[in-house]
Amino acid sequence: MSGYKQIAVLLVLLGMLFSGVVVAEEEKPKEIVLGASVPMTGPFAFAGIQLNAGLNDFVDWVNEQGGIEGHRVRYIGEDTGYQTDQSVAVFRRITSRADVNFYFGDSTAFQQTINRELERRDILLTGASFASELNDPERYPLQFMLGPDYSEQVGMLLEYIAEETPGASVMLIHSDTEFGRDPIRAARERAEALGLEIAGTIVTPPGASDISAEALKLRRAGPDYAIFHGYVLSPIPEFIRRARQMRLETKFMGTFYTMDQTMIDEMGEAAEGFMGVMPYRYFYDESGPAPIMDVIREINDEYRTNTYVQGWLTGLLMKTIAGETLRAGKALTGSNMRETLDSLEDIDTGGIFGQPVNFRGNSIPLGRIYRADVEAGRMVPVSDWIELE
Amino acid sequence: MQGLIEFIEISLTGLGMGGLYALTGVAFVLIYKATRVINLAIGEMLMVGAYLFFGLAAGLALPWWLAILFALAGGGLLGLLLERAVIRPMLGENPISVFMVTIGLGSILVGLVELIWTADPRRLPQFLPDEPIFLGPVFVFPEPFWSFVIAAAVIGVFVLLFRYWRGGVALRATALDQGAAYAMGINVPRVYALAWMLAGMIAAGAGMLLGSIAGLSPALALFGLTVLVVVIVGGLDSVPGVLLAGILIGWIESLAGSYLGGEYEHLVTFALLLVVLLVRPWGLFGTPEVERL
Repeated sequence: MSGYKQIAVLLVLLGMLFSGVVVAEEEKPKEIVLGASVPMTGPFAFAGIQLNAGLNDFVDWVNEQGGIEGHRVRYIGEDTGYQTDQSVAVFRRITSRADVNFYFGDSTAFQQTINRELERRDILLTGASFASELNDPERYPLQFMLGPDYSEQVGMLLEYIAEETPGASVMLIHSDTEFGRDPIRAARERAEALGLEIAGTIVTPPGASDISAEALKLRRAGPDYAIFHGYVLSPIPEFIRRARQMRLETKFMGTFYTMDQTMIDEMGEAAEGFMGVMPYRYFYDESGPAPIMDVIREINDEYRTNTYVQGWLTGLLMKTIAGETLRAGKALTGSNMRETLDSLEDIDTGGIFGQPVNFRGNSIPLGRIYRADVEAGRMVPVSDWIELE
Repeated sequence: MQGLIEFIEISLTGLGMGGLYALTGVAFVLIYKATRVINLAIGEMLMVGAYLFFGLAAGLALPWWLAILFALAGGGLLGLLLERAVIRPMLGENPISVFMVTIGLGSILVGLVELIWTADPRRLPQFLPDEPIFLGPVFVFPEPFWSFVIAAAVIGVFVLLFRYWRGGVALRATALDQGAAYAMGINVPRVYALAWMLAGMIAAGAGMLLGSIAGLSPALALFGLTVLVVVIVGGLDSVPGVLLAGILIGWIESLAGSYLGGEYEHLVTFALLLVVLLVRPWGLFGTPEVERL
């Protein structure tokens, strides 16, 4: 082969190689992968099914808008049955078959268990848990919450109580679980700082049981308010019914997982006047501008739960964090996205929260107090948005 | 004086739960005495009864009394079905195998309930009177009070049936000596079916009462765990033992919950189980020859 021919062949080969690289780069779709361990069966299925629907709808919507900085979003969610071992297995399965950038966890236990693995794989995670323990960027640097932690939620209730009835007495009623015990110590400290009296704590055993003996304790203490934590539904309506049978004037309150309209509806008449803290706007809350809530209402004709809205919030925060990271020219690793998250201020959630939000540690300490109006079948806001310092 | 009134109130509250323990315990013992099967699915059978009532009263909007009758019939039918389809083919097998089958049955029943009604927490339509009861200065919540009254009445009816009804006598005869029962012309397989059917009905009734007190979710089946403690403490094959143990454990749990805290309720129950197993492993009134697993 002559020298010219050799050069020509070399050029052709180089050209093919180069064009191949270009073709390969063009063919490789830019995508952001959101993995999720979702409890679509088991005791938290009521939340997981809705959350899964919220994530799916968000992903469809954001891809219709052109994705995130030109990246399409792919969602991979699998059922866990609300079992930690299943959640971990789902995490391993999803992360082994896709380059996951962002992950959603379904429980406190899962989020505690998977923490080291997150750091090893450099993935940013959020989840369904509001456990106070997770609100520690030192120990959980690649995790953040979708609202206030449980201590902050109870703190908001206490702030409201202190404003409505200064010096009031408050009973804390919680389940004998890690979930139930979570905010108790912080609640005592905050109550003292606010000049409220903690009338006592009532602990209920896990599982189905009669709470009549515990309700007698409520009568003995006769508190102005009682805050439930660590429950979804039972034994809240049973407690309220017993309190009414004893002619108590106590006002009852709850935290996030008790506060969905579907749970309030299940309580029946007992729900009248029931109050609680909720960081997100309800589906039907049309007060104030909320473009994302408008989109949600446009997509859905019927009521959607707060966990569905939580799915959208997960997506929106991912969009903001990933978008800022990409604009800064950084790869979508967990550490880079955490850096971005720490630099964000006054994040717009499209009206899901009533005002722009800021992270404090791993949580967003913002929420509002609502009261049940059984006749209207709605939760009505009774406070402004409360942001804890 | 106030302390004494409180003690009485707490004790009476405990009797409500005790009555339900005793009632479900009777269902357990009925099966064990007649068929020698340790039925660990009793909590799940109870839960199915509560869901049947929920489906009929809330889903189909039947009057509560009709829903109760149908739910009881449904519970009986479930017992009959389980005996015929699952337990009877296992007769003669190793007791551990049958015991394990009942654990599997429990999982299947929970799965079925979650398929039909989902695992979402629910509230049973109220059918117990809502007016508080005053016994002099003593206040009693209506739900546990009426639960106890109903449980006691049902147990009373069953005691009479066992004593005087032909089927009840056949049950007792089979429990005492199967060979002799066969020899006397008693249709023993039919007695087995009868025991499971009656146990299914009793469990369904207890499930409806428990659901009205504690709310409705598949977690209701966990009640079966405490019932297991009740029957071990009372004696696996003793109806009077189970009645006494049920009331005793209900009372102790109520006192522990009130004076120590809810976190001690189950601790005290299982501590009692441990003591009984160490001191009198056949239970307070059980037969010492009973085979332990």
